[in-house]
Amino acid sequence: MTPPDIALLATVVGSIVLFGGAAAIALGWAFRDGQFDNFDQGSKSIFGPDEPVGEATDAFPGINVEVEEATAPW
Amino acid sequence: MPVMTAPEPVRHDRVKSAAERAAIDASCRGPVLVFASSAVFWLLMGSMLALIASFKLHIPYFLTGSPELTFGRVRMAHLQSVGIGWASLAAVAACLWLMCRLSRAELMYPKMLYLAGALWNIGVFLAVFGIIFGAGQSVEWLDAPPYAPPFFVAALGIVSAWTVAVFRRRREPHLYVTQWYILGAIFWFPWLYLVAQFTIFWAPVTGVVQPIVNWWFGHNVLGLWFTPVALGSAYYLIPKIIGRPIHSYYLSIIGFWSLALFYSWAGMHHLIGGPIPAWLATASTVGSMMMFIPVLAVAINHHMTLLGHFHRLRYSPALRFTVFGAIAYTLVSFQGSLMALKEVSKTAHFTHYIVAHAHLGAYAFVTMIFFGLFYYMIPRLTGREWVSSVLIRIHFWCAAVGITTYFAALSIGGWWQGRMMNNPDIPFARIVMYTQPHLLTRSLAGLLLTTGHIAFAISFVMNLAGWGKQRSGGPTLFVEPQATYPPGPPSL
Repeated sequence: MTPPDIALLATVVGSIVLFGGAAAIALGWAFRDGQFDNFDQGSKSIFGPDEPVGEATDAFPGINVEVEEATAPW
Repeated sequence: MPVMTAPEPVRHDRVKSAAERAAIDASCRGPVLVFASSAVFWLLMGSMLALIASFKLHIPYFLTGSPELTFGRVRMAHLQSVGIGWASLAAVAACLWLMCRLSRAELMYPKMLYLAGALWNIGVFLAVFGIIFGAGQSVEWLDAPPYAPPFFVAALGIVSAWTVAVFRRRREPHLYVTQWYILGAIFWFPWLYLVAQFTIFWAPVTGVVQPIVNWWFGHNVLGLWFTPVALGSAYYLIPKIIGRPIHSYYLSIIGFWSLALFYSWAGMHHLIGGPIPAWLATASTVGSMMMFIPVLAVAINHHMTLLGHFHRLRYSPALRFTVFGAIAYTLVSFQGSLMALKEVSKTAHFTHYIVAHAHLGAYAFVTMIFFGLFYYMIPRLTGREWVSSVLIRIHFWCAAVGITTYFAALSIGGWWQGRMMNNPDIPFARIVMYTQPHLLTRSLAGLLLTTGHIAFAISFVMNLAGWGKQRSGGPTLFVEPQATYPPGPPSL
């Protein structure tokens, strides 16, 4: 085997070990930490008291979504 | 009508939560704006280079006087400007801001990220102008001159370390799906980049292994760098903007892990028909087919989350761009999987059809979602509203019509170009002439896209300059509580 072959083999094997290992560790941690225990709770983690579920948080400048929706003809 | 006031504890919680979010946004404001501003600059530069390259294909004597502006150099410089410049810098801005917000953690030592921003921009500058002045390397996606990559590697190292540091300081115990995608991206991209640099330039492998590594890298830049960050952004923006949790959080996690498992197989379908081992191309085709799993998971999730809320597209600029990008993700992924089939590849290979597909992914999907993210993120960082709805609408319609026209023109032209090239009875010159109207249409679409980018850049600069209205509802509450408006539907 030439030096480039050895370098390539080391890269491929190293990558498999590194990435396979990292994925296994990440999955193991997620299960142990209870990340997959409550999906309903997880999906709501981006909301908070200031931006709760049910409240739109973006609009064109000068538009109030609630007012627009209340007055929309459709 | 009596004024309804929220009970005191709820109001207190809102104020406290808004203050925490404002402090988090303030902590990452400087670095994120540095990455975002330079991203916009390289978008404009990339657009100009793209226009020059595009016009040259149907006006062959356009700017022929200087070697710096030959098609080969300008096209490579465009790719570096929009790939490593615009899209990557926007991706870094997204990673930093989203990770801070979702971890509910403030960014520490932001000065190191200013250094990373400077290094990255020096790298892009050297890449773009090095290529223009003749120092490019003929490896797709890695065409930067050899003196540019060390800057990217150093900057990437800092960005990845800081993103992980924010994650480790998190106050939010749950790891939201966006964070999975971001952590994946900042882990995968440095690895891809280093391995590709190592095996192609620093300790070059020989023979067909070089193009194999090249396309493994080239394809994965989209799939394991831009795609996870863009999808992560969409998974944050869509539910957040409409105020509704993701339809199926379970599906979103399946989507992430199946992307992680299958995407990196797919790059070899670029070499179908080439002199690579048959099993490698076949394995890649299988990997491409398996990509239907994450794509369907994401498509179902985004569509079902939006169901009943499509009317909000009229009101939210960020949602418009993001949903356009999410739809394009489904299309480009389905198309990409089908293009991995040998029968399809036989016609599509080496034609403008591939260029159309690449832009459907890099622009209609990734760039549109990043535009959406910017429209949501920038006002929350600067504390200023966007100055003009008109400019935003110009941007959206130019981008949407432009990329649709671009895709249609090159897909149709490219497919028939492939059919004709497979017929030995058709002279090559006739095929070239056949593609001319399609290439002209592509240039017109490019003009539209550039017009949109200029409108976007004007909005962006005006916002940074503080011309936008300061929000009265606090830095993160963007709904005016007492505003009155004339009745009737808003204009599109």
